[in-house]
Amino acid sequence: MTEAPLLQIKNLAISFNGNEVIHNISYHLNANEILGIVGESGSGKSVSSLAILGLLPKKISAVSGTIHFKDIDLTQINQNQFQHIRGNKIAMIFQEPMSSLNPSMRCGIQVEEILNQHTGLSAIEVKQRVLELFDQVKLPEPERVYKSYPHEISGGQKQRVMIAMAIACEPDILIADEPTTALDVTVQKEIIVLLKELQDKTHMSIIFITHDLALISEIAERVIVMYKGDIVEQGTATSIFNMPQHNYTKALINSRPSLQVRLKTLPTIQDYLNNAFTETIVTSEDRAKHHQALYNQSPLLEVINLEKEYISNSGWFGKSQPFKAVNNVSFKIYEGETLGLVGESGCGKSTLGNAILQLDKATAGTIIYKGTDITNLSTKAMRRLRKDIQIIFQDPYASLNPRLTVGQAIMEPMTVHKLYKNKAERKAKVLEILNRVGLSEDYFNRYPHEFSGGQRQRIGIARTIALQPKLIVCDESVSALDISVQAQVLNLLNELKDKFGFTYIFISHDLAVVKYMSDQLIVMNKGEIVEKNDADIVYNNPHQDYTKKLIQAIPKGL
Amino acid sequence: MGGKTQSLKQLALQKFKHNFWGVFSFCFIIIVGLVSVFAYVLAPDHSQYANQMHLSIHSKRPGFTIDMLTLPSKIQNTQNALDKLFFGTVNTETEVPVSAFKIKDYTLLYTEYASDGLVGEEKSLDLNAFSKVEESNLVAPKTFHLGTDKYGRDVLSRVLVGARISFFIGFVAVFISLIIGLTLGSVAGYYGGKVDAVIMWVINVTWSIPTLLLVIAITLALGKGFWQVFIAVGLTMWVEVARVVRGQIISAKEMQYVTAARALGYTDYRIITKHILPNIMAPVIVICAANFASAILIESGLSFLGIGAQPPMASWGAMIKDHYNYIILGKPYLAIIPGLCIMSLVMAFMLMGNALRDALDVKS
Repeated sequence: MTEAPLLQIKNLAISFNGNEVIHNISYHLNANEILGIVGESGSGKSVSSLAILGLLPKKISAVSGTIHFKDIDLTQINQNQFQHIRGNKIAMIFQEPMSSLNPSMRCGIQVEEILNQHTGLSAIEVKQRVLELFDQVKLPEPERVYKSYPHEISGGQKQRVMIAMAIACEPDILIADEPTTALDVTVQKEIIVLLKELQDKTHMSIIFITHDLALISEIAERVIVMYKGDIVEQGTATSIFNMPQHNYTKALINSRPSLQVRLKTLPTIQDYLNNAFTETIVTSEDRAKHHQALYNQSPLLEVINLEKEYISNSGWFGKSQPFKAVNNVSFKIYEGETLGLVGESGCGKSTLGNAILQLDKATAGTIIYKGTDITNLSTKAMRRLRKDIQIIFQDPYASLNPRLTVGQAIMEPMTVHKLYKNKAERKAKVLEILNRVGLSEDYFNRYPHEFSGGQRQRIGIARTIALQPKLIVCDESVSALDISVQAQVLNLLNELKDKFGFTYIFISHDLAVVKYMSDQLIVMNKGEIVEKNDADIVYNNPHQDYTKKLIQAIPKGL
Repeated sequence: MGGKTQSLKQLALQKFKHNFWGVFSFCFIIIVGLVSVFAYVLAPDHSQYANQMHLSIHSKRPGFTIDMLTLPSKIQNTQNALDKLFFGTVNTETEVPVSAFKIKDYTLLYTEYASDGLVGEEKSLDLNAFSKVEESNLVAPKTFHLGTDKYGRDVLSRVLVGARISFFIGFVAVFISLIIGLTLGSVAGYYGGKVDAVIMWVINVTWSIPTLLLVIAITLALGKGFWQVFIAVGLTMWVEVARVVRGQIISAKEMQYVTAARALGYTDYRIITKHILPNIMAPVIVICAANFASAILIESGLSFLGIGAQPPMASWGAMIKDHYNYIILGKPYLAIIPGLCIMSLVMAFMLMGNALRDALDVKS
């Protein structure tokens, strides 16, 4: 390309309170292109884009280097000048559509506000333009959405409103910061298609930021890979994907479970840096043999016609409406098996998990564990049963009590269930478990806030296995983790399963991860089981339209 | 990182240490606490309740000095040392302010002090009963550093002894309010549903009664006296604690670590006391500091109305009540001194509460 780039960033370095998080990065954005920035949490991808808009907190951050937009240096201009650029020339879409819209304003008014700020259109013209925009982002019934409050429309629709808002003034650059991370895969697919279409039509440039390399390959022409505040690699999407140069990029591509082959263990970044990884593929014959032994036993847990009904009250005079979160679900799970449970948000998969754990009582149906119905147990018997059925949570930041040290947190369940004779013995056991999950013994007296997400998830796993349970429900256990950490945790879960003979119910919205982990796979939609079969069969020959749609929506990469 | 590891509690403490006003207020409160415990040791007048009256020298300025004739009491004092130390001495000597005196032939001739230009009565005292040492100590100059009140009692001593009531009412009231508030608040917040509805109803009803009115009703039901006031104030203040605790627990019980605790089979009692309460203590501590301050104010209000601590017991509120009409009679210090005491103690608690709030706020 001969023309000057639209945005030219040179030697950008950003530090917070003297702590440098972006080290001297340079990149450019051409007119009419989609640039992808990929990296894990903490790699500085969001911070660098916030710097473009001058949205970093002034007091604690120091920015050096230049950001040239056309011929203005964005690091030099003041707030007043920025107001003309923000929203007007450079617009941004955020990750959380739920919290980026003002809940007390109607959607239409929120979009109008931007037009009023940046254009001199009359009130009628503004409304006309908003409806046009809503039409452009393919919102169903623009008139209705115009009058709706944010809570009345779905997450995907909210993100569309956000996009409408961002493109309202026909900006030159649109920065999309993880715009689809909080959305379901099928919705994600639609948003990606929409962004591409809009780009085609308006010829604006898009900076698309995400942690998902496969996703970025579907939308971006050029990709920048960031790692710990540095750009480790940049190039066209195809070259990055097919011939990654840097070890980190290689690891990022490969640590995501592949949909074609099933590896025994997933490669991690450490493996790539040490060049120590050898691929072992689990063949379908191995799997068949393993399954035959598995399904010849009597089931460990049997769920029969389980139902969970919530009653939503619509005001004082409205009739209460029952809503079935889980409807008529039956399945069996055998000792040593991993049962995958996949579905989009709101399909009732977590409700089902909670019902099995008896954290939320089911309204109808029976759950038989080792021959006894556990839905009507006394509180005391229930407490004893808790030892056998355990859960690993989604959010490693929220699942640990911040006031207990790691050691106390792992030791407490042992004390409560009176495992082992005395404190010394328990402590020895805790240290053993810490080693087992790959944490140092020094961590015994540390507090959770000193650890990273992956380490916390290991602590959570350690606490769960401290009770030596039989059945573990993994409720989105790896969804909040970065891809490389996710691979480590998945490997750990598989390793522990081999060592202790755990049985997992693996709940996730990520079909690729569930497929990698599970023997049997259950696809849920709107509280009901849509499809249930061997994981490979479900993936290769889906019978139901819903499953097909779900599989189709997964970003495949190149 | 080294071997050192810090809990959230230690981090908060560190942050608190950097707040000058917080630490200053904390020290001030500690000092007032020590003063109130050892009030009788520090006070110049260590009679019980600092109640040594000299009517002839009533309402004198701070720094007033006079010769004081001390006549030992005939009644044998049976108190033990500890009792004297903490509760003051009963039946003390009679003290007579004198304007002039001389010793002649084993007789002490003295003129009683009289203010406003009057001449006091002349009296004599036979010194045969006294030893030489006692004799020389009989008359000594005495300074009233903060002046005297309308009964001629030493204001400094009364302020020191009165600190006790103010300080302890804070403690007792906060303690009572914590016990009731934490229990009811946790139960309502954790179990929700009907239990919550009933408790909230009680809270709302208690809340709607004006505080002072409720305290008056409780004091009247339990009888007058300072212990009753302690309890009454405590019984009105639990409402705030309960509301805060309930609200905090409702949001804290949605946290995953609470679900985790339930999944691990812990009992409800253990979950509430070990996993929820330690994590919601920050707002509770702040509200306790505020309650401490308001308890002191309520008590002084009650004393002012005459239903708090009963005379001759010294309390800051009662001191203001006794002397507020002197404000326009050119002797405002009589009411201002205890007023300043109340203000500084309440302010210290408020400042410490603010500092604690900042320190315990993990977000920043």
